[in-house]
Amino acid sequence: MDRLLPLVKGEFDRLNKYNLFTANFVVLLLWVGMVSFFEGAELKMFVPVIFLMDSTMMTILLVGATLFYEKQEHTMNSIMVSPVTEDEYLLSKVIVSVLNSLITVVFISAALYFIKGVTYNYLLLIPAIIVVTVVHSMIGIRLSYHAKSFSSLLVNFMVYIFVFLLPTVFATIGIIDEKIAKYLIVLPPDVSNILISALALDVEPWKLVFGYTYLTVLSFILYRFMIKPKFNEYVMRETGV
Amino acid sequence: MFKVRNLKFKYPNSKDYTIDGIDFEIQDGEIFGFLGPSAAGKSTTQKILIKLLKDFEGEIEYYGKPLLSYRDEFYQDIGVSFEMPISFSKLTAMENLEFFKKLYKQTVDVEPLLKRMGLWDDRDKKAGEFSKGMKIRLNFIRAMLNKPKMLFLDEPTNGLDPGNARIMKDMILEFKKQGGTVFITSHIMSDIDELCDRVAFIADGKLREVDTPRNLKIKYGKRTVKVEYKEEGNLIVREFSMDEIKTPAFFELLRDKDIETLHSGETTLEEIFIKVTGVTLRG
Repeated sequence: MDRLLPLVKGEFDRLNKYNLFTANFVVLLLWVGMVSFFEGAELKMFVPVIFLMDSTMMTILLVGATLFYEKQEHTMNSIMVSPVTEDEYLLSKVIVSVLNSLITVVFISAALYFIKGVTYNYLLLIPAIIVVTVVHSMIGIRLSYHAKSFSSLLVNFMVYIFVFLLPTVFATIGIIDEKIAKYLIVLPPDVSNILISALALDVEPWKLVFGYTYLTVLSFILYRFMIKPKFNEYVMRETGV
Repeated sequence: MFKVRNLKFKYPNSKDYTIDGIDFEIQDGEIFGFLGPSAAGKSTTQKILIKLLKDFEGEIEYYGKPLLSYRDEFYQDIGVSFEMPISFSKLTAMENLEFFKKLYKQTVDVEPLLKRMGLWDDRDKKAGEFSKGMKIRLNFIRAMLNKPKMLFLDEPTNGLDPGNARIMKDMILEFKKQGGTVFITSHIMSDIDELCDRVAFIADGKLREVDTPRNLKIKYGKRTVKVEYKEEGNLIVREFSMDEIKTPAFFELLRDKDIETLHSGETTLEEIFIKVTGVTLRG
């Protein structure tokens, strides 16, 4: 794991040089702009949505974009013939995603405090952000394995949203029956929403326990069975096969 | 250093073996060349030896142990230069090299390498703004970063102008002089002929010959002497076998005729390759 630090630092440098940080920052400014339209209870309900969108959707897009650039420029080949292990490489992507999400938390929280004087229970927020980002960075990596271009990555992303997020939306507006809706907690966006919403809503304790356990186990399963075993195949394709 | 026995490799979704049962050894301190046309299996063999492709059949030993049993210590030992340009386009040449330097225990000062390869003045330029030749030179410096024991070079001079190709070949020869080992793949016959201690001919995934360039020339060469001379205003060309040049007829010709050129009829590696494999090196 000696190479983890330079890998993480290198990844941050590249996010900066490839203007991905700038893109992320623009999105954050938009969120801050929207926050100024809300007050009181509405604001309390809206802010978790920002953290949810950033740690799920933005994470998938950022991980996908960095993998796309490395694929396009064949730099992954050069990293893979260095002493860096597959675990270090993949873990660095996850760590950078988590740090990015935490930077968002700091930025949005600071903005909320200075603009609206609002604070949250950050001890509740930070663990939720970490576990949600870890799962979604792995989902981002997995989606990238199937993407031949950035457009196809976006298509994979849309399919993911359609399949995993729409049921939750349908349940919220009553299209899906309540009896069925309670099982939607197994969908990553749904359980992520529950954990982050605990910031503003009263969530039943069992849901929190289930959510943390479920996302931790899901992260392990994704990594062990869907990310790492397919990584070599991905590198092989990347080397021109 | 490397021992390869009955190596076979088939890409997923392919019916045929790209590498079909090849055997060879690479000795410490030698430059070992793989000569073959495009799609013959040269780059695939290199990718197997550098552990990018792992699902092979057969045995590969590195210093007496199975190659796949090595972890990061193997990559501390080797430097790889790929045929295609590989660099982070939005990072400068120096930033690219600094990033990769941090991944190794032992590294070299890149300044002399950048100067030698003519990239020092462009070190703060983004790699994406480099020409193909500059990117290839940057690849080569990247391969030398960790003071490797062994270099893997895939078509190293492809895309370089003659001057820079000369510099790179000199650096490869100096690397060998200092005890380094090189595995080089190329379809450029002159590079292989000039650099390699031993050369393997590969075609259709099979090795057809492995020997020194000199031995191959002796084995497959014509061993003749060609003489061009003027006679009554006409240019006459005659070819003598090595046995014939010991005869009085040859000496009389040299003495009596107006000789214009005298060449040994040494066969090129390319001609030998075609003779041995039945395929051309072009493309």
